[in-house]
Amino acid sequence: MTPELVRTIFDTASVASILVLLVLGMAVIVGMMRIFNLCQGEFVMLGAVVAYLCSTFLGSTLIGIILAPIVVGLFGSLLERTVIRRFYGSPAGALLATFAVGFVIREVVRALMTQQGAPVPAPIPDSVDIGGAQLPVWRLVIMVVTILAVAGTYLVLGRSSIGLRARATLDNRELAEATGISTRRMYAGTYAVGAALAGFAGAMVVPGRILYPDIGIDNLVPMFIAVMVGGLGTIEGPLLGALAIGVPFGLMPALVNPVFAQVIVIIGAIVFMRLRPGGLVNR
Amino acid sequence: MADTKVTRRSMLKGMAVGGAAIGATGSLGAFLAACGSSAPTGPIKVGVLTDVTGAFGVVGKSNVETAQFAVDEINAAGGVLGRQLQVVVADSASDTTTAATVARQLVEKDKVDFVIGTVTSATREAVKGIICTTGKTLMVIPTSYEGGDCTENMWVVGAVPNQQVDPMAAYAIEKGAKTFYCCGADYSYPRNMIKQFRAQVEASGGTVVGEDYYALTDTDASPLVSKALAAGADAIFDVTILPLSVQFLKGVVGGGFKGIHMSPLYDEGVNSLFGADVQGVISVQDFFSSGDHDETTTKLMAAYKAKYPEGIFASSFNSPAWYRGIYMYKAAVEKAGSTELAKVNGAFDGISFDKGFGGKAAMKAGTRHCTLPMFMGEMQADGSVKVTEDLGVVDPTGQCA
Repeated sequence: MTPELVRTIFDTASVASILVLLVLGMAVIVGMMRIFNLCQGEFVMLGAVVAYLCSTFLGSTLIGIILAPIVVGLFGSLLERTVIRRFYGSPAGALLATFAVGFVIREVVRALMTQQGAPVPAPIPDSVDIGGAQLPVWRLVIMVVTILAVAGTYLVLGRSSIGLRARATLDNRELAEATGISTRRMYAGTYAVGAALAGFAGAMVVPGRILYPDIGIDNLVPMFIAVMVGGLGTIEGPLLGALAIGVPFGLMPALVNPVFAQVIVIIGAIVFMRLRPGGLVNR
Repeated sequence: MADTKVTRRSMLKGMAVGGAAIGATGSLGAFLAACGSSAPTGPIKVGVLTDVTGAFGVVGKSNVETAQFAVDEINAAGGVLGRQLQVVVADSASDTTTAATVARQLVEKDKVDFVIGTVTSATREAVKGIICTTGKTLMVIPTSYEGGDCTENMWVVGAVPNQQVDPMAAYAIEKGAKTFYCCGADYSYPRNMIKQFRAQVEASGGTVVGEDYYALTDTDASPLVSKALAAGADAIFDVTILPLSVQFLKGVVGGGFKGIHMSPLYDEGVNSLFGADVQGVISVQDFFSSGDHDETTTKLMAAYKAKYPEGIFASSFNSPAWYRGIYMYKAAVEKAGSTELAKVNGAFDGISFDKGFGGKAAMKAGTRHCTLPMFMGEMQADGSVKVTEDLGVVDPTGQCA
């Protein structure tokens, strides 16, 4: 294998795994709960903020990565109690409310920043030689962590009893309530988990980049396309969608002009959604 | 009262007719002065149009500080033609629609005497018609940009591609580079910079082995990094922009690139975002704050630091151009003896200013663009810059001639 081929495979795996990691929280909130959560990007950004603050004031990005899901999860549960809860019956209202919340978060962070961005060092900044190509170790870590995070989320929501109750609640609220499940708590908890996963993704992805207020919203469009391609109602749909979008995003620039690559992938996604409106996993 | 008004109006009418005749003899100014209805007396209003909020807010805040710094200096020294300058800030909020609205306010409501500003070319395009063409107001553009804008009533005091690019291309050729890889974001500035770079290296016998652009919506630089590394060039000419440029630089450094890395977008204002990987990157700017300076610049820097201890004064924020732009307007008004548009326009062509940051700058006659002092610098791991060459004054080429 030539170093170029190694790099192409690596880029494809890396870009796709980052998108899967970013979409994971969205798979819970948009996929399972069907709330069109436009502040999902800001959850990602807040996770990156936690990573930045920990790396700057505690000297460890790693602590930030551990704290990010806790902090952003708590923030999500607070947001659910104050705002999101009022809009479960009205998707359009939820769309506008979460857009507003995202806007406020973004501008507050922007107002607090005194630079165009802030660097966040990777916990492992080294490169490793694989087949003649120098590859950043942190990106390899992200790939492994993505697989673990997907497996963990799937086990908790798909196989555990609490996951069963959550899914029951989301499928049929009245019936779930009749069986003694506190559906209010289930909704709040599920939303918080979705926020926590987004925060975790933000903290994982920001090292080696810079933190800037639009880091979340810049990723929101590919995240949403992934969810729509994957289909609503399940957790695996959006994740498969993220793979379906992420693989060509990583691979295409090696074959065609990178600017066209993006356009081709998005047009492909639109055509796919027209032919199969329910998405990859239709439920 | 009504009578007086009519009298005054008919008198002005008469003056206009008489003025046409007397103007031919060159004594209109004297005639108007004798009539006592001449030069306005209040402050000269400086419209400062920049992105104080939004994505470019950090740059905009710095621009406002620099404008205020220059205006305060001028006012303390007696103003312009005996009138004080007054800053009117218009926040374009990093948004072209907002920019158009505030530009209209500056021209129609505030009736500013001139406008200095814009951060991006998109904003410039959105406001230039409103300010320069229909607004008949003089505008100074204090930014490095892709070149080629020759709108009437507009004067550019920042660098155009050849002023930054040519010295970098010559440097790489001199260092023995034969093959070059060029990349940037997909819009006019990077494309024009790379076009200029390609022309320069090809004229010197070099070969461009790759030229790639990424979409502004891209969030991951790794495919571009792979292309740059696969090209295996002796030198990279990099016009990637923030925030992706951080990933790109870290990617090529981590990927083992050992050649010459050049970019027109690095200096002390942004270096800290790149960390230690910035070491060795070559850039050319009209000013670097690191290192030794002439006496004028040293004094200016001390005064700026005293006024804005936390302020960022850097070429990447267009700070030296903002400062020189306001002083060049002052010089043009003083030469014209008036703030009247036609006269200031006439005076602006060829005006020079030698007390700015970095040295003497002058409008190159007939080009609407500016001859600038330029410097080559090597970025250091701590974010400072080692100035490796004083390039002297460099003319803008191919502009509006």
